Amino acid sequence: MTTDTALSNTSRAAGEHDPVVDELRSRFGAEAFTLQPTLTGMPVVWVAREQLLEVLQFLRSLARPYVMLYDLHGIDERLRVHREEQPPADFTVFYQLMSFDRNSDLMLKVALHEADLRLPTITGIFPNANWYEREVFDMFGIDFAGHPHLTRVLMPPTWNGHPLRKDYPARATEFDPYTLTMEGQDKEQEALRFDPESWGMQRHSEETDFMFLNLGPNHPSAHGVFRVVLQLDGEEVVDCVPDIGYHHRGAEKMAERQSWHSYIPYTDRIDYTGGVMNNFPYVMAVEKLAGITVTPRAQMIRVMMAEMFRINSHLLFLGTYLQDLGAMTPVFYTFSDRQKAYNVIEAVTGFRMHPAWFRIGGVAHDLPQGWDRLVREFIDWMNPRLDEYERAMMDNSLVRERTVDVAAFSTQNAFDWGVTGPNLRATGYQYDLRKARPYSGYEQFDFDVPVGTNGDAFDRGMMRLEEMRQSVRIIKQCLENMPGGDYKADHPLTTPPPREKMLKHIETLITHFLQVSWGPVLKPNESFQMIEATKGLNSYYLTSDGNTMSYRTRIRTPSYPHLQHIPSVMNGGFVPDLIAHLGSIDFVMADVDR
Amino acid sequence: MQYKLTRIDPNTPEQTRYPLGRERGVEDPMDKHVHRNVFTGKLADIMNSAVNWGRKNSIWPYNFGLSCCYVEMTTAFTAPHDIARFGSEVLRASPRQADLMVISGTCFIKMAPIIQQLYDQMLEPKWVISMGSCSNSGGMYDIYSVVQGVDKFLPVDVYIPGCPPRPEAFLQGLQLLQDSIQQERRPLSWVVGDQGVYQAEMPSQRERHRDDRIAVKELRTPDQV
Ligand code: SF4
Repeated sequence: MTTDTALSNTSRAAGEHDPVVDELRSRFGAEAFTLQPTLTGMPVVWVAREQLLEVLQFLRSLARPYVMLYDLHGIDERLRVHREEQPPADFTVFYQLMSFDRNSDLMLKVALHEADLRLPTITGIFPNANWYEREVFDMFGIDFAGHPHLTRVLMPPTWNGHPLRKDYPARATEFDPYTLTMEGQDKEQEALRFDPESWGMQRHSEETDFMFLNLGPNHPSAHGVFRVVLQLDGEEVVDCVPDIGYHHRGAEKMAERQSWHSYIPYTDRIDYTGGVMNNFPYVMAVEKLAGITVTPRAQMIRVMMAEMFRINSHLLFLGTYLQDLGAMTPVFYTFSDRQKAYNVIEAVTGFRMHPAWFRIGGVAHDLPQGWDRLVREFIDWMNPRLDEYERAMMDNSLVRERTVDVAAFSTQNAFDWGVTGPNLRATGYQYDLRKARPYSGYEQFDFDVPVGTNGDAFDRGMMRLEEMRQSVRIIKQCLENMPGGDYKADHPLTTPPPREKMLKHIETLITHFLQVSWGPVLKPNESFQMIEATKGLNSYYLTSDGNTMSYRTRIRTPSYPHLQHIPSVMNGGFVPDLIAHLGSIDFVMADVDR
Repeated sequence: MQYKLTRIDPNTPEQTRYPLGRERGVEDPMDKHVHRNVFTGKLADIMNSAVNWGRKNSIWPYNFGLSCCYVEMTTAFTAPHDIARFGSEVLRASPRQADLMVISGTCFIKMAPIIQQLYDQMLEPKWVISMGSCSNSGGMYDIYSVVQGVDKFLPVDVYIPGCPPRPEAFLQGLQLLQDSIQQERRPLSWVVGDQGVYQAEMPSQRERHRDDRIAVKELRTPDQV
């Protein structure tokens, strides 16, 4: 038996033996579902459109329920060649649910036909389906009956066509060059005008006329191109509407034309403060498709660099979070620390923000001589700094006044809206994927998972500070226990193949040539990898159709649900609290709009 | 030195594409003054230099960022790089108080009309730096939602290559802009003299450094820190 068949057998077993499959079958009958064998590590179950709502209700009310709608998106199946063991479909919409009690996921898929692209909305069961359904409508033109506000969410309201459809051109250069006239400018600006009535909002109440305040898309505390429209009664936020899509770079469509290897740099730019942290889930998902097992050294190098970037990203968070609260100085301190982190990152990867340094099967090159000295210097520098930050900033009474009990939400509220990562842990719920489902050797490390108590803006700040301490601990353990061996796996699909081998064997030279010119070919299948990224749970869901490129790449990012969550926290709050909340979420717009 | 003259016609029709204003190449307008009357020529020259010196050392940037490049731009404002050395640390949150707009990041089609609006709200004299491959040319995002270079609608003064450019590169770009401002000929008042904006054609950095760059034969290996 080859490794590939072994893998697909275990995946089939993993899917079929999940107890939830039996629970579903005993409730709805065995014929109600088709089980699709994949490498995703979770059961992938096809349901009929008519039964969707009932099945979701059932899963949500099980003894150990699926409490979170983790992801929802679509696939255009029309050009897909390998669809064995799947019901016929032109378009598929998939729903990924997460159960924390079971610590496992489940994916439901619904088949749709071109002539009848309609589904019932599930916003009544999972409120965070709202934006996801709007995005599926925007990208594929699928209609969700009963949706409260089914409009485009990423593309401008004046846009034509549905970009993720296979017959929609990907390149800007396939369209006429962009031009903007004075007339066009007025038209586009007019289309962005906020219309309260279309959102079911009143302009007046019995006592007062509401004011509508447009914050963004360019505002110093909006952290990028993000817009939120506030309905105000004096200084109180009656309601608010976050508006996104100003940062949509078509990253998912891009994956359909880049080879598996050459897509790596695009992942860096998803959560652009996370650097190689973004490569992590992507290369791991590709390795599952390729059947590559990564060497212990490569695993630990990856963990070390990912944690370096976690610190780097959290430092940026800390500086800007305090700046949003009005403290000018901290950002100068944290950016000095980021420079120290970059000293290590640059020496190891040769780049600062977007190293694209992980490779399919390992990392780009081995650690340079002298790396340990740099890392040790960084650790020695960081620890006292973190203590100082805690004393000077988080113990500061002004910071506490602005953040304690501000924008607080409960664990249940976080589940309802798909909130993950430090923001979920701040509510007192301990769920860190590095502990819950260890990947890349995280089970070997000794570190704690900090949790908060109130789920307020203060706890969210403290969470990051504490997490940096833990990351420093992890890096220290990497430094002390770095295993020897290769930094790339010995596998024909490792891309590019190890250079030393390439210079010796003609076979490796040929593979090298093919992989660099065409890219590696991966067998048809689907795989999935989730990680604990800097801002929450981030995952790549890859579909291979046996080609050098992905057929469909779905990137689930944590910041997207975090922004959708804002109205549920802020309604009834004050404008300055909204600013404190925005600072405490830790989002970047590329992680929202992709 | 060759100059580029830009004139804005207040009666521009609505269908005109951005960037507005007609441009053409001309000789340095100061030259003819010098030949006509040595004294006023010299005076205008000194006035221009003094005003330009003031302008170039107090370029106030607009607090505006689009994506990843903005992080490297802000890095230049913090202690390790300290942009205050060049007089540009005064970030303005309102376009009306700013002199410089740095397009740091990807120019999205959904953002383009907003960028144009913000640019229009800035008061003259104003300059634009395009920071990073995305805003220079679309960069690695040849994709349906991205404008292939912000110069499709904004007049750009300096292009900084990189994805993202290092903070040092941004500082260099700023200094290049300062050099160009020093050579500018703008109306000294709205009633005195010619109302066009004359900008010097600055030498291409790529050509200037080509020989030095080709001369580099030994590159450091990445095996040592
Ligand atoms: S040039 Fe590169 S770093 Fe800059 S915005 Fe574009 S992708 Fe990001």
